[in-house]
Amino acid sequence: MMTVLLQRRISGHGRRSGSLAKRWPRVKERPEIAVDWSGLIAQIALRGDREAFRRLFEFFAPRVKGYLLRTGSSEAEAEEIAQETMIALWRKADRFDPATSGAVAWIYTIARNLRIDAVRRGRRAKRMLQDIEAEYRPEPVESTETTHGRSQEAAHVEAALQRLPVQQSEIIRLSFLEERPHSEIAALLGIPLGTVKSRVRLAMNRLRELLDDLK
Amino acid sequence: MTIEHHPPEELIARFAAGRLDPAEHIVIAAHVAMCARCRRFVAAFERLGGAALEAAEPAALAAGACDAAMARIDAGDTVPAVPRSRRAEASGLPRTLDYYEIGRVRRVAPGLTMRPIVVPGATKSRAFLLMADPGTRMLEHTHTETELTCVLQGSFSHEGGRFGPGDFDLGDETIDHRPAVGSDMPCVCLVAMSGKLRINGLLGRLIEPFIRL
Ligand SMILES: [Zn+2]
Repeated sequence: MMTVLLQRRISGHGRRSGSLAKRWPRVKERPEIAVDWSGLIAQIALRGDREAFRRLFEFFAPRVKGYLLRTGSSEAEAEEIAQETMIALWRKADRFDPATSGAVAWIYTIARNLRIDAVRRGRRAKRMLQDIEAEYRPEPVESTETTHGRSQEAAHVEAALQRLPVQQSEIIRLSFLEERPHSEIAALLGIPLGTVKSRVRLAMNRLRELLDDLK
Repeated sequence: MTIEHHPPEELIARFAAGRLDPAEHIVIAAHVAMCARCRRFVAAFERLGGAALEAAEPAALAAGACDAAMARIDAGDTVPAVPRSRRAEASGLPRTLDYYEIGRVRRVAPGLTMRPIVVPGATKSRAFLLMADPGTRMLEHTHTETELTCVLQGSFSHEGGRFGPGDFDLGDETIDHRPAVGSDMPCVCLVAMSGKLRINGLLGRLIEPFIRL
């Protein structure tokens, strides 16, 4: 549950910095004990557990929608993609491998791929996704990786992220994942505009170094 | 196969976030598929994406959205299979291109041909395969905007180094280069280009109108 942990660390930082505290008011609402999302997904795969689906839906669908609204989707598109993300989660539940990506990151990739699909095929077209998924897969030449290799790889990535300073993962998130303009980031963090660019650069280089070190 | 030249982190980040122009997307996808190092970077980004999702301000869905989703699941609202494009199986193209329609071979210049790739939703750049005969010396040129290249087969060299299979090269208006294709085999590259090529020198200006890229 690295992402949960990371979230806590970032949130803690947010509370200290005043302007950011407002952005994470719901941290308190979150259950103190992390929900085992992977376990719920496994229940769907094993026995079509509707209750598990409902719990996942209640937590993630509004967040997918909120995330998409935040990053420029219209209300209608965000609503549609949020629902389709959950439908895809049900269908793909048996292919989810908790050893290679966290449940939250996996759900993120489904929503991301659906949004790419919407850009390519138009919002009204039938979602297909196979083609987009193929574009995020290793080329067979190198895919001799075993399940063991894949989970080891995932552990490396996780370890690198744990070592990335909170300030740096935060600026990456604000800039690339929440897609906020540099001027907004400057205001949020209370730093000069010019500093934002160099901090983004530094954070990316640091992440690369950490990932390279762990080979 | 050792990959030595990687895309700038910013491009990989935007690829991981699904926010690249579709033509540029397929060039980065081809590199990432072949490059374990950049795949790790994408995986890290996807985890940060998950954290961003978890922290997102929830926006309520329409009343009954969950039941509606379940009804759609029950109705067996199946997903149609995406038809694979008709590209030649033996062509050795990366699997990331499996679903793209690839146009006919067109001659660009002596020793140089290209095949356009049909990229739905592309607005900024166009994508194509560029095939060069062994030993072809390209004219010195610059780009008015950017050019993303991923080598699929063979190699080329310019002052930035030697580029073999999997290597990524970025050209922009500041780079003046004159790539030379390796002499041992033809070179095939996947390219996304925005703006125009500008061939330098008098000869360049004379033949520029005839270069069809
Ligand atoms: Zn790479």
